Amino acid sequence: MDEVSISGLTKNFGDLVAVDHMELSIPAGTIFGLLGPNGAGKSTTTRLLSTLLHPTDGTAVVSGFDIIENPVQVREITGVLPEESNHTIYPSLTAYENLEYFARLYEVPKDEIHERIEELLTFMELWERKDDRAGELSTGNRQRLALCRAILHRPKVLLLDEPTSALDPIAAKRVRELILSLSQRYKQTFFINSHNLPEVQRICDRIAIIDKGKVVLHGSTRELRSKLLAKQEFRIRVVGDIGKASSVAKSMNFVEEVEEEVDSISVVIENPLENNSTLMQALLSNGIKIVEFAEEETTLEDLYLEVVKGGTA
Amino acid sequence: MALDKSLIVARTDLKMALKVGYVKYGLIGITAIGPIMVLATVGIIIFTAPNATELYVIMQMLGPTISPMLGLIAIIPASLIAANALVGEREQNTLEPLLCTPLTDRELLIGKVLSSFIPSIALLLGSVLVSEIGTISMFLIAGYAPMLVPDISGLFLILTAGPLMILAMNSIMILISGRVRRVYEAYQMSGATVMVFILPMILPMITLESGGIDPAAVWFSNIITILIAAALFVVTWGLAYSRFNRDRMVSLV
Repeated sequence: MDEVSISGLTKNFGDLVAVDHMELSIPAGTIFGLLGPNGAGKSTTTRLLSTLLHPTDGTAVVSGFDIIENPVQVREITGVLPEESNHTIYPSLTAYENLEYFARLYEVPKDEIHERIEELLTFMELWERKDDRAGELSTGNRQRLALCRAILHRPKVLLLDEPTSALDPIAAKRVRELILSLSQRYKQTFFINSHNLPEVQRICDRIAIIDKGKVVLHGSTRELRSKLLAKQEFRIRVVGDIGKASSVAKSMNFVEEVEEEVDSISVVIENPLENNSTLMQALLSNGIKIVEFAEEETTLEDLYLEVVKGGTA
Repeated sequence: MALDKSLIVARTDLKMALKVGYVKYGLIGITAIGPIMVLATVGIIIFTAPNATELYVIMQMLGPTISPMLGLIAIIPASLIAANALVGEREQNTLEPLLCTPLTDRELLIGKVLSSFIPSIALLLGSVLVSEIGTISMFLIAGYAPMLVPDISGLFLILTAGPLMILAMNSIMILISGRVRRVYEAYQMSGATVMVFILPMILPMITLESGGIDPAAVWFSNIITILIAAALFVVTWGLAYSRFNRDRMVSLV
């Protein structure tokens, strides 16, 4: 069953179309990553789903509740980490008071409030600073506090806008671990906006890439990886005539690009799982000694850049 | 409707405001102007009046002037706190998480109105109490039989029209919050609004006549002032609630 279902969602700001007839469905328990360049409409989508903005057209259903018809219910079951969340903490309240305030607004049972705050602040290594004013905390600590605030009421759906943007690598790793752990423990659905492609690749089950408010690619991480693997770059280090190796590679119809280097050639091969051995055999039968046949690491970033620049995958 | 959520918002807003020294002492300072002026005026009259008869006539005439003045001074801190309530949240980027909570528009707005209503009423009552105790003490020190300043009709006006005017002022500030980006703009708007709100509060002053006052006219003008205050509150709250728009609040950031 889909936890988040977006249909024809559109948001205009005057003449600017920030989100353009978006269609997306996110199954329950999924860690979903929304990627896109600045101004693509990622944050606007999050704000629409969190009922902060009213759609110009279309709608979305979050855990069975329509964002237009049932905004209060949607807000009850979602936890939101806004953009630049480290600035969204009340600076004059202590870390503890910040969380206590929101726990009460989200109607966390009174006898559980202290326990939950202690658990979260301890996990985020902030318990020692619970009585410090939030304004005195570092940017990273404020971001962690904002994350605690978003998950305090154990929402079914978490809308996280750049959750690790202000964190150091260790803290970012802890946040990723927390997301994975929450996903496993409570089967929560995560909707994550991020520019951090390796992070998205590491933790997300499904990914969509948007550009100019439109979804240009959507699928499971596995599917997108296989799209990547459909065409892959290899570096072949050889002993002997580089030019000859290059000519042999170019003669193969499944080789798209060949680039000569000092002691190697770089080739882009279609369906590498099927064609690698053919290329190797061709090189060997032409007397070229292969020292190394290595896969160049391709990441989601390559796909992202290709999609956003080229408009298609 | 869960009024307790509104109270949570109001209590937290109040706690935050009182943690800021210049806000806390600024509010007390503004409100202190009222009792200081009352006590200074009453003191000068008591100690310069030629006899008791003239003193009581002058004091009776002071009633319709002093009560509106105390009420007006209480509106100023209300407008300042209310101006900060939503625009301040937006300016310090805390509005978005608050709007993402399950608070309904009504709960949120009542919470924001209460957050400025509670301290304003406390300051108004405090200033009235200080004025009454101070004037009674001065009468006794000067050897006269004590009288209430403000008198009963004045107290009635302060305790009825005062809260209504504060609520109306807070509602109009909520309405303004959806149309300005910065706190200083809201402060400017609040200043202009206070000037408009002064008009009904000075209505009792027109009952003053040379040589004395007509108590029936004072009570009549008080009732008219209360009705105007109530109408203002109903209209401003209705407008603030019906025009409140989360989309606009967020888009203005």
